[in-house]
Amino acid sequence: MISEKSLETGFVKNLKHNLGNFGLSPVAIGLFVLLGFAPYLIGDEYILRLLVISLLFGTLAMGFDLSAGYIDVANWGYAGLMGLGAYTSALLLTNLGISPWIGTLAGAFMAAIFGLLIGVLTLKMDGMFAAILAWFIGLILMALTTSLTGLTRGALGLNVDLYFNTGWSKPYFYVIFVICIVTYIVLRRVTNSNLGLAFSALGQDAEAARTCGVDPMKYKVINFTISCFVAGLCGGFYAHFMGILTPDIMSTKHTVEVLVIAYIGGRRSIWGPLLAAFLVVPVFEYLNFLMEFKYVIYGLLLILVMIFYPGGIAHFYNYIVGIFNEKKRKLTGPESNPFA
Amino acid sequence: MDSTVISDLLVGGILRGGMYVLMAMGLSLVFGVMRIPNFAHGEFYMLGAYFSYFACTLGGFPPAIAIVLAGIGGFVCGALMEKVTFYPLRKRSRGDWIMNSFLVTAGLSFILQNLAQALVGTDFKGVPQYWGGSINFAGLSVSTDRIVGFLIAMASVAIFWLFLKKTRTGNAIRAVSEHETGAMLMGIELNKIHTLTFALSSMLAAIAGAALLSIIPAYPTMGLQPLYKSWFVVILVGLGNIQATIIGGFLVGVIEAVSSFSLGAMWQDVVSLSIIILVLLVKPTGLFGKKMKV
Repeated sequence: MISEKSLETGFVKNLKHNLGNFGLSPVAIGLFVLLGFAPYLIGDEYILRLLVISLLFGTLAMGFDLSAGYIDVANWGYAGLMGLGAYTSALLLTNLGISPWIGTLAGAFMAAIFGLLIGVLTLKMDGMFAAILAWFIGLILMALTTSLTGLTRGALGLNVDLYFNTGWSKPYFYVIFVICIVTYIVLRRVTNSNLGLAFSALGQDAEAARTCGVDPMKYKVINFTISCFVAGLCGGFYAHFMGILTPDIMSTKHTVEVLVIAYIGGRRSIWGPLLAAFLVVPVFEYLNFLMEFKYVIYGLLLILVMIFYPGGIAHFYNYIVGIFNEKKRKLTGPESNPFA
Repeated sequence: MDSTVISDLLVGGILRGGMYVLMAMGLSLVFGVMRIPNFAHGEFYMLGAYFSYFACTLGGFPPAIAIVLAGIGGFVCGALMEKVTFYPLRKRSRGDWIMNSFLVTAGLSFILQNLAQALVGTDFKGVPQYWGGSINFAGLSVSTDRIVGFLIAMASVAIFWLFLKKTRTGNAIRAVSEHETGAMLMGIELNKIHTLTFALSSMLAAIAGAALLSIIPAYPTMGLQPLYKSWFVVILVGLGNIQATIIGGFLVGVIEAVSSFSLGAMWQDVVSLSIIILVLLVKPTGLFGKKMKV
């Protein structure tokens, strides 16, 4: 009887451990499963579309958090790289007839190559250089897509064929859902591995990390490249979901949107930004009637979070968990605490 | 290429470069003294243009006074914003200062741009001319407004330079930029110096915006171009090196004039970017960069 019970807990523990390797806690799985059924639970097309956009921004913000949280580079050209992915995929489809699925991946690799180049050039210096060079490149990509009207139709907008023959959000929901889960697992796995340890060591104290044999350049470049890959991937999805692309997608405004979500979610957590997207995107969608003042609120929120709570939701959660653990330890008494 | 084209390009490039110097100097100063990569610098340029526009049209002031008023306005706005945002941030910040302050300036830029759009509208607000007419210069006819704008820029740079070199306060600013703790130990009040530095840098940007109003009308997103041009300059010559921005500004101005003449305006940024990439490859601290932690 007793052995059976311990066997069971042993199995559960094992499972938990294995899932933990993929960055999935039971709560996260529960939420993902619930989200997976959302299209069947929610009949309203408008809300479903909002969910798709939240997932898109959540995925973008997770990618952003990888470099902002772990190596301290706020990628200022993030929207530019997203636009690069979007235009690559769209142009491959319209000019060469390449399937949007391959195109999306091609766009992601394109963004990753740019990220690699930016990283190799600038990451041996302060993170600010990478941010600013990425910004320059984003601005120039935007200027070029605006003026190369023969190829991109410029500000008129490029019509792109969708993934499916339908405009309904349901199939797109599953596409971005899969992208989001895969990104989440990969990023959690990367950040929980030795690679992740190296990332956070570099973010916290590059000198000390170097002394311990971490090659800062290599890890930073890998990190930055993965982050840019995510941007390109989301860009490709955006192109074949929206059906129309304008150079505006690359403007710095959109980088700020992603950045606000990532910082409200909390640095160095990956799950925080994803969660924050589901709070921030619907709220700001609701605030659309405010026009420009909506963006004023974005700016204010960014400043307030930076000054008063730079840790975001993830930090708040850790703080609450810390309080609970403290209580538990006090209740069970000092003998159960190995460190007492 | 005959000689008139060359002199045309040179004059055009130098006139353009004068403004870049004025903008880049403030940017470099704020980074050197406060370690803030200022992303909202272009917004003060926009504020200056709007101040000057309203002083000219609503206030009916002559251009010279309008530009001075714009400078004062920029100074006050800069001081206010420093007190409201960077001062509390500095009080509470634990590490990550460069990144956090960078994001705060991004927030400021977002707020100012969208407030301008909400309150004034997106249409161009300009004056047809400040002084009007044109001056013959080395066989070229250049409009008086451009020449006077350039002279205003140069005068501001010179006065500012003298202020930094000759006055006690100016020396204090330079001391803080060289060694903050050391300056504090010598009895310099850091908070005052920080506020003053940010206000002065905003003032320079506002003067640039105001002086060019008759050439570039005011609109909410006008700050973007001067912002990234001045970042070009600052990265090209090395961060925090204020003297070198003077050379860098003219250099970028001339390079742009030449590349937009020979390749078309669309490619001038691509050319500048390629030069930046080359510089980063060969000498990451910038052409005249001081030695810094790489």
